[in-house]
Amino acid sequence: MNLAILARSSPLFTTSRILHRSIASKPFSCCSISNSPISINPKTPLFLRPPTFSATLSDLQKWQNWAKSIASSVKSSFTDSDNGPNSNDLHRELNWLIEDALENPQSLLTHNEFEIDYVLRLRADLDELYLLWKQRIEKRRPFQYVVGCEHWRDLVVSVEEGVLIPRPETELMVDLVDDVIKENEDLKEGLWVDLGTGSGAIAIGIVRILGDFGRVIATDLSHVAVQVASFNVNRYNLQDKISVKQGSWFEPLSGFEGRVAGLVSNPPYIPSGHVSGLQAEVGRHEPILALDGGEDGMADLLHLCNGAALMLKSGGFFAFETNGEDQCRFLVDHMETIHNGSFHNLEIIPDFAGIQRFVTGIRS
Amino acid sequence: MSSNILRRAYKLSSSILYRYQPISTFFVSRSDPQFSTSSGKPQNQKNEYGVSSISNKRLNFSFGSSLNNTRLLFSTQAAVEPSTSDGLTVDGIVANQWTILDENESDWKSHASAIAQSIGLIKKRLQWKKLKVRLEMLSYQLEKPDLWDDPVHAGRISREHGSLMGKMKEVNGLEQGLLEHIDMIKLAREEDDTDLEAESVKALLRMRQSLKEKELEALLAGEHDSCSCYIEVQAGAGGTESMDWAGMVMQMYKMWAQRRGYGVTVVDEMRGEIAGIKRATIKVDGEYAYGYAKAEVGAHRLVRISPFDSAKRRHTSFAAVAVTPILGDGSHHVQINESDLRIERYRSGGAGGQHANVTDSAVRITHIPTGITASCQNERSQHQNKASAMAVLQSRLDQREMVRQAQMNAQYTQSLTDNSWGNQIRSYVLHPYRMVKDLRTNFEVSDPDSVLEGEIDDFILSFLTESMDKENDEV
Ligand SMILES: C[S@@+](CC[C@H](N)C(=O)[O-])C[C@H]1O[C@@H](n2cnc3c(N)ncnc32)[C@H](O)[C@@H]1O
Repeated sequence: MNLAILARSSPLFTTSRILHRSIASKPFSCCSISNSPISINPKTPLFLRPPTFSATLSDLQKWQNWAKSIASSVKSSFTDSDNGPNSNDLHRELNWLIEDALENPQSLLTHNEFEIDYVLRLRADLDELYLLWKQRIEKRRPFQYVVGCEHWRDLVVSVEEGVLIPRPETELMVDLVDDVIKENEDLKEGLWVDLGTGSGAIAIGIVRILGDFGRVIATDLSHVAVQVASFNVNRYNLQDKISVKQGSWFEPLSGFEGRVAGLVSNPPYIPSGHVSGLQAEVGRHEPILALDGGEDGMADLLHLCNGAALMLKSGGFFAFETNGEDQCRFLVDHMETIHNGSFHNLEIIPDFAGIQRFVTGIRS
Repeated sequence: MSSNILRRAYKLSSSILYRYQPISTFFVSRSDPQFSTSSGKPQNQKNEYGVSSISNKRLNFSFGSSLNNTRLLFSTQAAVEPSTSDGLTVDGIVANQWTILDENESDWKSHASAIAQSIGLIKKRLQWKKLKVRLEMLSYQLEKPDLWDDPVHAGRISREHGSLMGKMKEVNGLEQGLLEHIDMIKLAREEDDTDLEAESVKALLRMRQSLKEKELEALLAGEHDSCSCYIEVQAGAGGTESMDWAGMVMQMYKMWAQRRGYGVTVVDEMRGEIAGIKRATIKVDGEYAYGYAKAEVGAHRLVRISPFDSAKRRHTSFAAVAVTPILGDGSHHVQINESDLRIERYRSGGAGGQHANVTDSAVRITHIPTGITASCQNERSQHQNKASAMAVLQSRLDQREMVRQAQMNAQYTQSLTDNSWGNQIRSYVLHPYRMVKDLRTNFEVSDPDSVLEGEIDDFILSFLTESMDKENDEV
């Protein structure tokens, strides 16, 4: 079982063999699923595919001009209807699509219109590029699904339908962790968990700043998320440091009560009533399991708060992402009253847009 | 016979001579008291090339008299001006005012005169006197025992010292080379060795030709000239017409940079609603990008019939250009305090987080104490946008600090540009006539299209030449 690998490679677990056996003997509901090998492979992002296709410069330019013109025709209509992208955003995305699809994107710049027969090597054939851009504009398919990846911090994480595209706001979670481990060796070398890991972005971001002995367990209920997260973990060659487990919230962590140094999560937090009015890219394409946080959006957050009190060791750190000020306040209030004395240093931290986004604290 | 051996040595050395290494190093061995400086101290110049066999042979023919007056000037302290065996110095050559003939004329005096003039120009461009003073000051600081208490400062001092020392040595080597060639010619004449004479005259010619290049290099001898840089263009007042103009100016720099083989990346761009840009910043990557681009700082003026004016009237618009060097790690002048920063995501609306799918993660950073800002929106992640914006901010703060220090100490600051956007430097007229004219140098061309396609090197060089030569005359 996966935990055994994790345990063997970490001194943290060397004394916990007995504990292990007890975990193994426990009947698992969700965890047992992860033991059976799963056949579906995550899709390879465009930029990682081999450049086995080709097109002449003039054909590619024809496609580019077509793509530009339909992007231009969007103007601010998406923005006006649901705060979607405008033409400017789409033009930038088009450049990135070219960057990912061409073996040598520079050649578009350096070759001029007189070399129309010049042949470029592509990672998708021209028909597919037409289709992809059509999906982007007409179906509002998120750009990140179109190219199969999201640039997040200094990482490029693979994503596909069924997995939430990690958000720029969430990048800050890693900075929050960085701030606490700078002063605390104990946390730096400890066991961290990322609950509802999705693409695995937070887990990967964190493990790269932890010390040599630091480990992360990343969990998700979604089968696709577990697949994609594992793909990303392997791509960054972190399989010895991150264990990806399928299961509902704390389920895959039983046995680790009171042993966790840090706990982070960006759980679904959108109130159910808001889901139908979401931006098309989100509402029509991203998994509802990753978004819907129940009637007030707080169902999972509250569950996580309670679990954090149980899982974290004394001095352990947690950080949760929320929907904004109301949820932040509610959580802090909840922790101060219901978990009276369990946590200290409770803080609300804004994102770069000035929205109160994160709640952090220390287990007493 | 003696000249034969000498010639062998000379031929051997001429490839090295080509790089202006003083040939006297061939003839000086450490232990030989015959070759000593006038102060009587043993000459401690190493035989860098290890050709001891040659120097030994040479010593057997003891006509040291013709060469041992040639002095090496290897430190700022050296008091003796180098001269030929009969006392001719580089300044002396200039003073002789030998006619400078065409390069094809094989006349050694003409070559020598041209070379001496070039050396003089190079020294002027390097601000020779100031450079020596600065070098002495840096040497003094380097000797302080507590220097490395502040490693960043120490690193900067020792880097600058190394670079100035290199320039000093190079020029000294040039002077030395010139005088030795002349000695060699005289010697060849005494010995009636026409081959050797021809050889030496040729060496002078080669030196003369390659000095042209060195003259240009000396234009870019400022401390940061070799750095990469940011070029920022901002539209002046006047709406779409001037935004369009700012866009054209930016395009001109992109094409110029590409032409020169520099890397170009757009860091920050605020487009005009209808055309062009309100402002934009590009990063230009490559050697001497800053040295050249700094010549472009100031306001650029356009006169044309505006394509955006339905009444087809003539418009005058302005675009302002600022250029900042990107200092290497460890050479920053300002240490940025995280707590002095305000970092904002802009062009974000709505609830954000899980609600939104965005590919635009533009970030603006404000340095609160100075109010200086930097933004970036062309990277694919917010983290990278932030890193890029931080780099721009760092370079702006560094620049500001360097200008401040320079003003405070009236210090040696060769060619540091203050990004004061007020002064108009160049005028581009597309109507009623066609011309681009630099208002600082009066350099002009009648083909604006080529200029707007990035052919601005002539403007840059004429400005660098003129401004530097003028500035240094005043000193
Ligand atoms: C908002 S997404 C966050 C994904 C990722 N951590 C990120 O920040 O990009 C929420 C994640 O929680 C997962 N999730 C939802 N319910 C869960 C549950 N009961 N147990 C574990 N994970 C769950 C979803 O599958 C989804 O991947």
